Amino acid sequence: MRDETIREIEQFLYREARLLDDRKFHEWLELLTDDIRYWMPVRSNRYPVISKAISILDGSRYEEDELSKEGELAIMDEDKDSLTRRVQRLDTGMAWAEDPPSRTRHFVSNVQLEPGANDSELNVYSNFIMYRTRAETEVDFYVGCREDVLRKVGGQWKVAYRKIVLDQTVLLAKNVSNFF
Amino acid sequence: MLAEVNSLVDADNGLISTRIFAEPEIYQEELEQIFARCWLFLCHETQIPQPGDFMTTYMGEDPVLVARDRSGNINAFLNICRHRGNRLCRAESGNAAAFICAYHGWAYGNDGGLQAVPNLQDAYYSELDTNKWGLIPVAQLDSYKGLIFATFDASAPPLLDYLGDVTWYLDFFFDRREGGVEVVGGMHKWILPANWKMPSENFCGDGYHTAWSHLSATTTGFGGEFRSKPSGEGKVISTGNGHCIVALGAEDQTDPSVPVILAYEAEIKQEVEKRLGDRINLVKPHAGTIFPNFSILRSIARTFRVWQPRGPGHTEIQAGVFVDKAAPPEVKEAFRIQAIRGFGPSGGFEQDDMDNWQGCSESGRGFISKRQRLNIAMGKGHESYDEKLSGWASDYRISENNHRNYYRRWGQMMSAANWSEL
Ligand code: FES
Ligand SMILES: [Fe+2]
Repeated sequence: MRDETIREIEQFLYREARLLDDRKFHEWLELLTDDIRYWMPVRSNRYPVISKAISILDGSRYEEDELSKEGELAIMDEDKDSLTRRVQRLDTGMAWAEDPPSRTRHFVSNVQLEPGANDSELNVYSNFIMYRTRAETEVDFYVGCREDVLRKVGGQWKVAYRKIVLDQTVLLAKNVSNFF
Repeated sequence: MLAEVNSLVDADNGLISTRIFAEPEIYQEELEQIFARCWLFLCHETQIPQPGDFMTTYMGEDPVLVARDRSGNINAFLNICRHRGNRLCRAESGNAAAFICAYHGWAYGNDGGLQAVPNLQDAYYSELDTNKWGLIPVAQLDSYKGLIFATFDASAPPLLDYLGDVTWYLDFFFDRREGGVEVVGGMHKWILPANWKMPSENFCGDGYHTAWSHLSATTTGFGGEFRSKPSGEGKVISTGNGHCIVALGAEDQTDPSVPVILAYEAEIKQEVEKRLGDRINLVKPHAGTIFPNFSILRSIARTFRVWQPRGPGHTEIQAGVFVDKAAPPEVKEAFRIQAIRGFGPSGGFEQDDMDNWQGCSESGRGFISKRQRLNIAMGKGHESYDEKLSGWASDYRISENNHRNYYRRWGQMMSAANWSEL
């Protein structure tokens, strides 16, 4: 991967994070393709197959992957329309989880690029920390990684796919009312 | 047993004390008087369908392991090793013939029996009676239409008596079609900084908050055109033993107005009518709480949730999504998506509830605010026993009738020394 491509993608991700922290959600939506899939699966505690804490009865049924699969429950499973409605909801003045609003700071790091499925796409991996404070003393850390597909549309990079993996099983925050 | 319960709950006058959401002493009494005695929801059968399948959950603050043994029977045990008390199974789900404690290696079968103890011959001189040191089972376990409940109280009435007249309403959620429902893989689990009764009472009867609390979600289409044209009909219904149901008018549209869902509901309407009987022409149940902490919802999202107590000020929410087993895949998928977008930690509806419940729950902290009585008097006197609905039903669709009956039961459970007093 060429250095300037890496720089370009990093700058794209930082700009995206800044829009979110500045609560410019409509501008953020413009960075997403119309066919985006935006997915945050749930995660659960499981023993790996090699664990000696259990002896497995039916190996054919055993699932050691912590992440929920396609078609299972997720924290978010969105398309452009539903993300747009989430943003519209914030505009009503009655989205109580964000009224008063969260103060967020997105940190994006460990950016890695791989060739995508075609010439106009890149697979982009990154880690994130999203620090949120709200009201008087509420503090939450959302930490995890993202697997993105970025696509060049009309000379502009856009997010066409985003899988967000949170590093928590029981979510310690009372809600997920921000974007990643 | 709580002596001063009358100063905390005055259901007849529609008054409750803020202290019940905040005080550690009251919370400790709840663990004993309510969570150690009532039938509590564990999981749905379809979450552990095959021999060896297991899940871990909680009954109150007691960790519980629910497992299907080799012959397919479902058992539940304290998830605590009998030796030194280590947490036995740390996984949320899986499939196992045996569970082996990480501390010294005691091994238990999925039927709870103690199968192996390291150094049994030499260090224990074979003097440990392994038959006596199996996992501690729940006192009673039973299921209703796939819903598995258990109690740690051997003297608790049978599950069917405990549920009483709420069973028909449970059928409306979980048994509308042959085969009942299945639970979508995975669960939402998160921590709510509020007392466990706050969400329980909300689901038990708070049809009042929806219009204001959730206006942002309804106007931006999170529930489809949910209740865009309410008939004005509906009731909040208390069927006894603290179990409460919220219902709209029989013709009200409570499903998400997603075409595939609406078409499905229209298609199965007659079949459901035949299965559930005439009562479905009187009301359309859409939310409820089975006392003490199991809540159900079937408008916007088809979901159940257990409000696991975590101290007076916190609750671990454990929520699952269910669909009719007989529904076609595209209908199941549509319900899954609606549930994720409407409910759960990111749900357009539920993320706002968290904030409000937290705010209400914190009202019992201050010295002066502790003296306050909160108001659950709405519609007091405007309710009557309705034979056709098998419960105390409000005259109007919005009422705090259920709140009063829920907290009345709470008071009874907190003060009664045994089940015969209830
Ligand atoms: S605590 Fe479980 S084997 Fe010792
Ligand atoms: Fe709500």
